[in-house]
Amino acid sequence: MDRKTLSVLLALAAVLVFFLAIIWIGGMLNPSLQLDQTALLRFVFVAVGLVIVFVIYWLTKSSGIWQVGTREVVYMAIGAALYAVFSYLFNGTVFVVPSVSQVALRPAIVIPMFFGYTFGPVVGFFSGAVGNMFGDALTGFGLSPQWSIGNGLVGLIAGLALLYPDKKKSLNNVLIAGGVLTLLATAIYFIGKSTPNMLFFDVPNNIFGDQPITVIAGLSVLIGFVLVLLARFLFGANLDIAAAVTWSMLGNLIGIGFAALSDIWINGYPPVAAIVGEFIPAAGPNLIFAAVLIPLLVGAYAAMRRQTGR
Amino acid sequence: MLVTWRYRPRPNSVVQNLDPRAWMIFFACFLVATVMTWDLRLLLPLLAIALFFILSSRLTWRETRRAWLFITGFVVFFSTLTLLTGRGGMEHYAVEHVIATTRAPFSILGWTPTLILSSERLMFALSMLVRVFSLASMTVLIPYCINPALYGITFRGLGMPDKFAYAMDLTMRFIPTFGRDFQLTMDAQRARGYELEKLEGGLLAQVRKLAPLLVPVTIHAIAGSEDIIDAMDLRAFGVQPRTWLIELVYRHRDRGLIAAGVMLMVAYIALSLIGLGRLWVPEALLTFPVLSP
Repeated sequence: MDRKTLSVLLALAAVLVFFLAIIWIGGMLNPSLQLDQTALLRFVFVAVGLVIVFVIYWLTKSSGIWQVGTREVVYMAIGAALYAVFSYLFNGTVFVVPSVSQVALRPAIVIPMFFGYTFGPVVGFFSGAVGNMFGDALTGFGLSPQWSIGNGLVGLIAGLALLYPDKKKSLNNVLIAGGVLTLLATAIYFIGKSTPNMLFFDVPNNIFGDQPITVIAGLSVLIGFVLVLLARFLFGANLDIAAAVTWSMLGNLIGIGFAALSDIWINGYPPVAAIVGEFIPAAGPNLIFAAVLIPLLVGAYAAMRRQTGR
Repeated sequence: MLVTWRYRPRPNSVVQNLDPRAWMIFFACFLVATVMTWDLRLLLPLLAIALFFILSSRLTWRETRRAWLFITGFVVFFSTLTLLTGRGGMEHYAVEHVIATTRAPFSILGWTPTLILSSERLMFALSMLVRVFSLASMTVLIPYCINPALYGITFRGLGMPDKFAYAMDLTMRFIPTFGRDFQLTMDAQRARGYELEKLEGGLLAQVRKLAPLLVPVTIHAIAGSEDIIDAMDLRAFGVQPRTWLIELVYRHRDRGLIAAGVMLMVAYIALSLIGLGRLWVPEALLTFPVLSP
């Protein structure tokens, strides 16, 4: 392990130990301390997320996908800025994008997916994590750094497609992994059907987080997965589109899953509430966007490259 | 063409006379302190700090009017929503003391819309108003008061590698540019009959109808980046460790600000650990009848 890598690893470990030590000391000072009522665990999960990123990097560092040159620096900035601007514009206060049966539409998520798949995991991670942070800052939504890391993971996993020179070979494995995660989430939805959709608010009807999740929202991950599957086979001849949609699906399930599951500890949600109330309403619509908008973006980018000869 | 934030030198501005690194560290500490508490008594000192920096920043109403109107609209909208629905508050209180109840004079399929004003909802909405306003106000100061020429060296000075510091610099510069590009694209699409306000149809149709905005803005941004990449490559960007034209030097006041920020953060973490960061409801408001489930 070279010196630079070791220093990154030690810094991450130090952050994790620092917050765990604070929590330990807090427990001694105040035996009735409820950690979900402090914000400390958010930072613990940031460190956990970064450790996950580091482990992925460590396992695949011999490949060229982690190289950062001029092009990557500029694409990182473009991805993050676009994600921040779209998040701000489509957050429900500037432009109200209507919800369909509690399925809130957040189109900005396709940016880290597309940038990750097209320009690599570093660009994808930066676009998702930094873009989410700036988007929250623009709207004044406070600080949920573990969701920024989750959004970063969406782009990072999408970018891991570049690990496979033969894209076709990776698709089946990714689809199987995505299918298993989808079935798990859907099964948990049927167990906790009466759980409120915590990400949904409907201003005219004064509904926010206290209305049981609708069937469409509850099945949105399944619907999204079926659409991804359709896109995979409809664009079978255009492997680039099929791979982009498929890898974006996996990135979304893992990244949003990380953020939603962290709320089990951070906000003290029961696991079923975190999955049915947060993961499904966030990850499901994202899959629908991946299936519909990613092919358009990949197609338009390919056309631009042909035109400019780059 | 890049569009910039509305920064201009303001000689007597407190924020602009501080090292931007010190300001960013203080801002991060302020953010952590703010998210640590829901107690209005602890949030008010944070609001006072935010107000001090706003009032001493020499920003005029004229130049920041749009930002303040957006923040005010956003904060009032969400606080009112919180007050009326109790949204988000369920994690902070288990029992509600009802101050007033209003029932609609009509019913929809046997359900009568009812608004409940409880002590806990009132205090939660007030705390949220103060919390979000403090956070948003401190954030607004960054684009108006930090010189865009210092973004890169600021993030480098905070310990980021050169390439990531430069990526952060470019991100902050691109945000207003893409905001303008989005507006231009939307105007162009509207001229062709596109209406974002009237998205209709099923779920898939609505998603597809967002493409005429998302795709051109994204592809235009990538196509336009070639000039920036060429310019950076011509200057041998990333070939070896870079130097920065401007050097930042900490002065006593900057060190003082960092120390104050760290102390503020540690104090709020400590208060949170001993259980003082929870939602506070005054005793007088707890005399109202308890809401029956």
